[in-house]
Amino acid sequence: MSSHDVMPEMSLYQPVRVEDAIGIANQFADRGWLVGGGQDTYGWLKDRAKSADALIDLKGIESMRGITETADGIEIGALVTLTEIANNPLIKERYALLSQAAVKVASPQIRNVGTIAGNVSQDVRCWYYRRGLNCYRAGGNLCYADTPEGMNREHAIFNASRCVAVTPSDTGPALVALEAQMVIDSASGQRVVSAEDFFVGPNVDITHTTVLAPGDILTAVRIPAKWANAQFFFEKVADRNAWDFALVSLSAAMRVNNGVIEESRIVAGAVQATPRRLTSVEQAVRGKARDEATANSVGNLASRDANPLNYNHFKMPLMDNLVKRALRGQA
Amino acid sequence: MTYMHIGKDFTPPDVEGKVTGAARYAEDFKKDGMVFARMLTSPIPAGRVVNIDASAALAMPGVVGIFTADDLPPSAPPANPALAKEYVTYIGQPILAVAAESDLIAEEALAKIVVEYQRRPFVVDPLDTLTEGGPDPYPMGNTLIRNSGEAAAGTTASGTDVGRIKWSIDQVTAFRNGREPTGAEFGSEWEYGDVAARFAECTTVIEEPFVTIGQPHHSLESRTSMAYWENGKCYFHGSLQSHTVGHDVLAGMLEIDPANLVFINENTGGGFGSKIFPYPNMAITGRFARQLNRPVQLRITRAEEFFIGSARSGMQGWIKIGLKDTGRVGAVDVIIVNDAGSGGGGSGGSSAEHISIMFQPEAMRFRGVSMYTNTTPRGAQRGPGQNEMAAVLAPMMDKAANMAGIDRVAFRRINAPRADGKIGERQGGLSSSYMPESIDKAAQMFNWEEKIAKPRQISATKVRGIGVGQGFHTAGSNGYDGLIRIAPDGTIYLHTGVGNLGTYSYAGITRAAAEALQCNWDNCVIVHGNEALNLPHSTYQGGSNTMFTETRSSHVAALDIIEKMKEIAMAEFGGTIDDYSIGGERVFLTSDSSKGMSYGEAAQKAIEMGGKYSGMEYPDNIHRTTQRSVQAMQGTGLIGVAKDTLPREGAVPGMAIAFVEIELDTETGKFDITDYSAVAECGTVVHPQGLSQAMNGGGVWGFGMAAYERHVYDPQNGLPANVGLYQSKPPTYLDVPVTMNTAGMDLPDPQSPVGAKGIGEPAQGCAVAALMSAFTDALDGHLFNRTPVTADMIVNHIAQNGHNTGNLKTNTF
Amino acid sequence: MEIIRYRRDVWGEEVILGVSWDLLWVIAVTAFVLLAAHAIFMAALAKKKAMPSAQGKRVKRHEGIDRAFHWIMAGSVLVLIFTGIAPIIGLRISWLNIHWIAGLILSFVCIFHTIRALFWQDFKSMLLGPADFKEPFDETIKPGKYSFEQKGMHWAMTVLVIAVIATGITLFLHIDSPWWDRPSVDNEATLGVFFLLHGISTLGLIAFTAIHIYFAVRPEKRFYTRSMVQGWISEDELKANHDTDKWKPE
Repeated sequence: MSSHDVMPEMSLYQPVRVEDAIGIANQFADRGWLVGGGQDTYGWLKDRAKSADALIDLKGIESMRGITETADGIEIGALVTLTEIANNPLIKERYALLSQAAVKVASPQIRNVGTIAGNVSQDVRCWYYRRGLNCYRAGGNLCYADTPEGMNREHAIFNASRCVAVTPSDTGPALVALEAQMVIDSASGQRVVSAEDFFVGPNVDITHTTVLAPGDILTAVRIPAKWANAQFFFEKVADRNAWDFALVSLSAAMRVNNGVIEESRIVAGAVQATPRRLTSVEQAVRGKARDEATANSVGNLASRDANPLNYNHFKMPLMDNLVKRALRGQA
Repeated sequence: MTYMHIGKDFTPPDVEGKVTGAARYAEDFKKDGMVFARMLTSPIPAGRVVNIDASAALAMPGVVGIFTADDLPPSAPPANPALAKEYVTYIGQPILAVAAESDLIAEEALAKIVVEYQRRPFVVDPLDTLTEGGPDPYPMGNTLIRNSGEAAAGTTASGTDVGRIKWSIDQVTAFRNGREPTGAEFGSEWEYGDVAARFAECTTVIEEPFVTIGQPHHSLESRTSMAYWENGKCYFHGSLQSHTVGHDVLAGMLEIDPANLVFINENTGGGFGSKIFPYPNMAITGRFARQLNRPVQLRITRAEEFFIGSARSGMQGWIKIGLKDTGRVGAVDVIIVNDAGSGGGGSGGSSAEHISIMFQPEAMRFRGVSMYTNTTPRGAQRGPGQNEMAAVLAPMMDKAANMAGIDRVAFRRINAPRADGKIGERQGGLSSSYMPESIDKAAQMFNWEEKIAKPRQISATKVRGIGVGQGFHTAGSNGYDGLIRIAPDGTIYLHTGVGNLGTYSYAGITRAAAEALQCNWDNCVIVHGNEALNLPHSTYQGGSNTMFTETRSSHVAALDIIEKMKEIAMAEFGGTIDDYSIGGERVFLTSDSSKGMSYGEAAQKAIEMGGKYSGMEYPDNIHRTTQRSVQAMQGTGLIGVAKDTLPREGAVPGMAIAFVEIELDTETGKFDITDYSAVAECGTVVHPQGLSQAMNGGGVWGFGMAAYERHVYDPQNGLPANVGLYQSKPPTYLDVPVTMNTAGMDLPDPQSPVGAKGIGEPAQGCAVAALMSAFTDALDGHLFNRTPVTADMIVNHIAQNGHNTGNLKTNTF
Repeated sequence: MEIIRYRRDVWGEEVILGVSWDLLWVIAVTAFVLLAAHAIFMAALAKKKAMPSAQGKRVKRHEGIDRAFHWIMAGSVLVLIFTGIAPIIGLRISWLNIHWIAGLILSFVCIFHTIRALFWQDFKSMLLGPADFKEPFDETIKPGKYSFEQKGMHWAMTVLVIAVIATGITLFLHIDSPWWDRPSVDNEATLGVFFLLHGISTLGLIAFTAIHIYFAVRPEKRFYTRSMVQGWISEDELKANHDTDKWKPE
């Protein structure tokens, strides 16, 4: 085993139309690699932990850029950078949850090139997996993190199924909270999948984190107007305040009328392989005031069914605390 | 004292290159015909290489050669070999290097090499190997023992062997549970004073366990090097903290006459203790280049830098502290088990030294043992021993002071070393100490009295923590050479063999020469970074010693050149040497300043006079590196060269004290540093901006050590988690305060001609200690007994869920 | 086509990952071709024999409890096969929990069946003896309760199910369950061997299950399937297919 850090030789395709990109992606199937900002690409390839025959660079596809207002909300091109999302006036005004999440991703340098599509499609950050070990997620037959001695501080407390990695995305939970729709183009046409269904856990597909299959291209993200100007809460707790992945994050969208929570979508990040909707909390707070009393009333509802590993019990109180903060309406 | 240059800001000449990107590091140098060498590293934590089949790789177009342990002189454990064969002792250990026409070909060639290994048992926790029946990291044992043997050729280790120390299960269990392991065997022990008697006099006694992890150095510049041979000489571009002090060592590693080595190292992107002297893989570069007869760049990747770039030695320990009713520390008894990784040594003795100087206990006992593990080799890292001890000691001392009812700052002032302070086992003296004054100054800057009186509860979810901590490191050496040349055009060339590791000290120390020469700084040129430019034998750049040591060297060279100028003037104008003065870059008769000459004219005269004036002759006591440099400059100007023989006695203590105020979020475990104030007891401040940089940089790293940095090994298979900077988690710009208030005590050390002492290492020690102290203060006196204290641990503590790691482990948390 | 899949273990050594799932398609195609050929042969070339009547007196062939066992076992095997191959063929379902629960059910009913067969049933009726091997080649020889083919199928399925259960339980011990946490794997090569054996026995089980189902729905054997549902066969069916000296049903 040796350390590699040089890009391997591979074909480079730079299509300028989605249909061309789909054609190339189909041609190479699972040996093709779609790249946008490249923040979850070059590491894999340079490390030789994963390989591909062809790199399909999507950055030349203009139709996948831009943030546009639609009849029912907004549409964000897949290639829109996280910095653009963080600074976009429309998003900041109406869907501040997403801009708040985007600005917490990694570092300014990464946000400047990293795209929304890349952020939601990125692979898990389990250090064993990223090392290139042949674990379950890599198609192997064991997990190195979920063992009596595994170093699993950052791993899942819910819904682990052999693999215990968590979703590293900050914007993913926010999009689930906003009931975003993911627009996927492929040779068989376009399909639209809810953000909630976009992410898949290891129980369903242990080697993928999303429904995207070879030949699929996530071309846009649509956010419906339903949650425009709702009350939002986002907080990401990570070891470091920049250039880090969440230990736990919480995204919440709440429709509050006269101080009462009429409807809410509360989603935790980094506690399982997919963004975790806290439906029990959502139901418990429906019709209640957004205040300290309601925050206290949910207690440890969020973490109730958690199954922590050796080193990640802290995620349970941390998750409960973030839920309280969201419901309290203030830090 | 009013100085012309000392204490004034200036712009070191490398700043512009650093800002513009023009500065060149070892990896930036290329040479016609250069090939790229890459290393194959071990996938197993312990074992031996049985066979290497490189035939497929060597058959690849563009592959030019392979270099294995067989191409190096044999080495014996625990020396850290450049390439392993019989003793593979950690994952990531280099096994061989392959050279090719391109980096990519070299990487592809690595994948075609088949290495057959025989595995051995391994261990990553020092206490596991210390336990009777536990696995040993080497077949022959688990600890370093000293002997009188010769160093293995091609290595930097000497006089060491691998022995075995074991504790009974009961002793290890007691130690893991925070109790003294009665009757246990240690590798080193010392004691001064009557410890038992002093404890008996104490009214407050605490016993605590502690553990610290061993952070990697994560130097931004990995240790890539490039070498080529021309006319029998090796030209070597490398990355060292020090420069000329490593010359002979590197020549030894290449088995060549030192005269045939030219070491070039203009800039170094961090070393932090891991690059003080030439390190093993440099032997590969030079020898491989000679073997192939082509320039070779051995490029070290980021992951490899984590494998071979060294790390701090983590420690597991137990301490007993006794306070008298006066607040004086009566006695300390400390046990430290160090994690030495697969090579190197622990710093337990230095940790104990920190306690001995910072709190001046009347009696003290230290017992330590340094255990090898199958993890990355350990080495010096900024304040090795002292700083990790500072980290865990500060909250424990706070606890003791609080139990005794003494204000924490007052407690530190009572016990602080004064000029008559003592240090360590032998209770040697100090060159100077203004620590009480520094404590007062920092407390005033921080407004301690007002802050300590503030309520701790800020809101329902935020608490305040006020912390104080101290750092120390011996900060001075002596005996190195100074070298100055004045050209006939009047330019003053200040030669230094000090490495440019990014602290600007290489430039700062030359200010002492300019000060003595009373010259215009604009007429000075600092000559450094390339031995072809004729550099003197200068100090190692480690242990915060540069400022003290090299201001002395610069000063004596300046005195020499001044004396020579006066003699030259005397030859022209008569009189005695005492009749002459210098000023305005002239040497002149004190009684008649019109009778004199400029420095440039003196240089011209020197060339004409020859002898010692133009470097034709030089003192016998200067190092041969300096001799060669003088020889190369013969007849080019006036040469000032001298070895520092100025008097020196006692340890030179660099010290610092810091205060931290934090606001801790009890729901997330996150915190903000709302105030950071620190004072350096560094003697006279030579370069205020340089000091500020040292204190800020050290402070940031201290915060990282206290709360962020990780060094994780998977105990089930010996895998290191740290193979990239984001896994290592050094603090970012958003994790540290925007403003850090720092100052120097600015009182002179009498043994430095300009009063200067070093400060690099204590700058980190005081910061980590203060932040650890603040955590404890914020959490009602709770002791974590470890560093780092990360957000998850704080959340666990507040939730009282019992899931903070209780056992002492250095490689995990 | 590969037979066995390999991978690198944590220390870079090549170890067995498991059986190649290319073989799944080989098994599927082979089974389909052979059974189709058999069906064609039987339909076109085999001597047509009159089907015995299902009317008349009924004879008990299977107790209700045994029929329940059979169908629980059959269900659990089918669920195991389906959940096992679902991720291989790209079906996105949450299969693992269903898989091991089905495996446990199969294990329990097999234990139950074994005990019942040993102590409450006529165990000897299922034993394969040398005489049984003459049966396929001599039309005059009629079997007792179970024919040579049935006994062969039973024992083949027994071996395969035991192999699947044994390897499956071993693998089950390596994942989190409600009763234990996943342990460390000291020897990845050994784990790979268990995956290989589980895979091979699964492939065998798939093949024999396919054969079993095929014969269960064949017209001339369908009365056995009925007997496994309703418990009886007719006296005509008994006399036409069994030697009443060897099997004397109630």
